[in-house]
Amino acid sequence: MIIAQNLTKRFSDVAALDQLNCHIPEGCVYGLVGANGAGKSTFLRLACGVYRPDEGSITMDGHDIYENIQLKKRFAFVPDEFWMLPQSTVRRMATFYASSYEHFDFKRFESLAHELNLPVSKPLSTFSKGMRRQAATILALSSGADHYFFDETFDGLDPVMRNLVKQKLYAEVFDRGATVIITSHSLRELEDTCDQLALLYKGGIVLESDVGDLKTSLFKLQVAFSGDYDASAFEGLEVLNINRQGSVSTLIVRGSKEKSHALLAAKAPLLLETLPLTLEEVFIYEMEALGYAFETAEGGNKQ
Amino acid sequence: MFQIDRFGRQPIYEQIIDQVEQLIGSGALSPGDQLPSVRSLSQTLSANPNTLQKAYTELERRGVTVSVPGSGRFISKDAPRLVIEGMQSFLDEITALSAKLCLSRVPKESVLQAVNTAYEANANGNQPQDQSAQGPTE
Repeated sequence: MIIAQNLTKRFSDVAALDQLNCHIPEGCVYGLVGANGAGKSTFLRLACGVYRPDEGSITMDGHDIYENIQLKKRFAFVPDEFWMLPQSTVRRMATFYASSYEHFDFKRFESLAHELNLPVSKPLSTFSKGMRRQAATILALSSGADHYFFDETFDGLDPVMRNLVKQKLYAEVFDRGATVIITSHSLRELEDTCDQLALLYKGGIVLESDVGDLKTSLFKLQVAFSGDYDASAFEGLEVLNINRQGSVSTLIVRGSKEKSHALLAAKAPLLLETLPLTLEEVFIYEMEALGYAFETAEGGNKQ
Repeated sequence: MFQIDRFGRQPIYEQIIDQVEQLIGSGALSPGDQLPSVRSLSQTLSANPNTLQKAYTELERRGVTVSVPGSGRFISKDAPRLVIEGMQSFLDEITALSAKLCLSRVPKESVLQAVNTAYEANANGNQPQDQSAQGPTE
């Protein structure tokens, strides 16, 4: 279990992380979303012991992670830019990894490379961006670690590769109870992959939830009444957003679907419909509630 | 066996639950049939094993499946009955739809006609056990 308490990290006068708190249990696939500069990568670097916290702590099973060699053997970090030894090949990097990871599994490394069709004896400098990501991923998966940290790593992979990497990770999660932390700004990707999601905003976690619960906590209501009505018609509902066109209002509501539906149904509406939201919409409205317009990579608010 | 719609609004674990229940309803899965293991399902669907585990746990809580330690998960004896009972929500949907149709002044005969047509078209060999599927009009 990784626990962050009042975790703060500053770069000169900018606080990249500000009093962040979170719990990441074993065996979970934990997704971190947030806008650019929200602190996602900083969090990962703190979580794998590269940065030292300025305030607060980040611990695994009660031990500080920073410079803790015993713990770091259990972590494999796949950064957004893969560092490689000059003029090295993937196989040479495997030897390099094995010098730090005592349980590095060369057999697994060769079989994964074969499965991904990755040339292990060609110089890494001739590799495309996606191939480097693949190289970094198979090295991590062969390291014998049981905590995997991915920084935007799925971004450079094609769909086939993505599926394959996911399968391998899920097998690790299932067979060994491995923990996976993934950062991304693509909600689609995370919704699909993770079971816990946290939303980072200005260096803190503003929302942490089970993916399934997130999708059911907020919903959309379409309602119309005959004659004129105003916002007082929606008293008793926790409304995050109202959009009215003519006599039809679209509400974003938090709480129980059944209760809200019953409450409005009692007012004899002309039209009353509840619709589930996509995770993307959930985040957009949660972010709006915080006063931030969330930019999405996929064109945003799908109807 | 299962089809996941990754871009759908419905959470994946709900999709799995619904599909198991549909397969039971249609008779494709019968009591005693084994469900695929979480691990193999996770690999074939590229889906998060924790999510699948959650779906399976819920199916077991509903009594639709039983797990036998060491051998796996099976469709329970009561599953077909439970699934039919669970269809109540669909009847509620018919009620809601009928209410809408009523408000839009669609004659009641047309609604009943639509229900009859659906039953005649789908009832071959798979006789529904309950014919009173016409939603009460409010």
